[in-house]
Amino acid sequence: MKLAKYVKFREEKFGGVLFETQSEKVFTLNPTAAAVVREIGAGIDEDKIATRIAERFNGDARTIQQEVLSFLRDLRSKGLAQD
Amino acid sequence: MAGAEAGQAINNEATVAASGRLRAPLYVAWQITNECNFACMHCIEESGPGKRFRDELDETQVFAALEQMMALGVPYLSFSGGEPMTHPLFFAMVEYACGRGAQLKIETNGHYLTAEACARLRDLGVKAVQVSLDGASRAAFNRIRVLGEFDTVVAGIQRLRDAGVPIEINFSPTRFNVAEIGAAVDLAYGLGAYSFYTGRTMYTGNAVKAWRHLEVAEDDYAGFFDVLRAKAAEYKGRMRVYFHEVGLLEELRYRLREPAALLIVLPNGLVKLINALPFVCGDLRRDTLEDVWARFQSAWHDPRVASFVDELSRDPGKTRALHQWIHL
Repeated sequence: MKLAKYVKFREEKFGGVLFETQSEKVFTLNPTAAAVVREIGAGIDEDKIATRIAERFNGDARTIQQEVLSFLRDLRSKGLAQD
Repeated sequence: MAGAEAGQAINNEATVAASGRLRAPLYVAWQITNECNFACMHCIEESGPGKRFRDELDETQVFAALEQMMALGVPYLSFSGGEPMTHPLFFAMVEYACGRGAQLKIETNGHYLTAEACARLRDLGVKAVQVSLDGASRAAFNRIRVLGEFDTVVAGIQRLRDAGVPIEINFSPTRFNVAEIGAAVDLAYGLGAYSFYTGRTMYTGNAVKAWRHLEVAEDDYAGFFDVLRAKAAEYKGRMRVYFHEVGLLEELRYRLREPAALLIVLPNGLVKLINALPFVCGDLRRDTLEDVWARFQSAWHDPRVASFVDELSRDPGKTRALHQWIHL
């Protein structure tokens, strides 16, 4: 998985932003989501991202993994990420 | 913040997000020169032949500004004018911005889109080239784009398509081309555009002098937007048809509450709050971009800005003075 061609990511104090420059739409990300996008940028396999994020953030690991997977699906459905 | 919030990770969606919490602009719209080979009836910037500002940024200043934009992580730039392709450093600037990873849009009148230029823009990796095509007929286009030639511009757009450069089309409505909107959208699609942009033509710049030839009646605007809604549905999934139906006042009132993360840079390095207001919040010849960004955010709260917008509601003609810059 990688960010789509026209999507730019920038880190911010609150987490980050994804800017889809074709539609000029901006999506704000909380710190967890920004961490997920960093993993994508680092070329980490999609099936490993959820586990890695769950290890790094406090909370119920299973819930975090489910939410990360949901977020990854969301990125793909919005055209922000692609295979 | 807990991972449990990842599910709400994408928690806001807006066109060029509100600027408040961002560490830098997301978008810099840079009018790189006021020089233009056309002298359009409605030009907001009053550009034209011989209209280059005497104090436009020199080479050192241009690349110093670009370097700051890249260093601060500005992800998206546009170069416009005037006609940006008349700028002697145009391709060097494109190469620099694209080479540093920014996404770059060129806003051009289309006159200089030779096969060689189009191939170069493709190879440098521009995100898109936006061409102004105000009409589906040579008669309408040549009337508004004084010194412009419809056939040359259409041929230029075809060369962009042949080179594989993403194309956007911009359309400014006037009383003599408003009826061509449907055909213009069809033409844009036929020329390979992926986006089509339009909105109300502003009463400012050259349009003030030519308003009696340009002004679109409200009834005609109603029909114009009806056609656009139908065309947006017709081309859904093939070409995006964007149109701003709200007037300037509504847009400015919204921006007062939610300033966009967008800086407008003039050819001489002055930075405006927004194109439709006369307020200047910085000067890239002497201020760092970081300082300008901080000032930009506070400048929107300056009472003179809200006052200007209020006065605009009583006197829409105030837009005629947008070029009398007010330094905040």
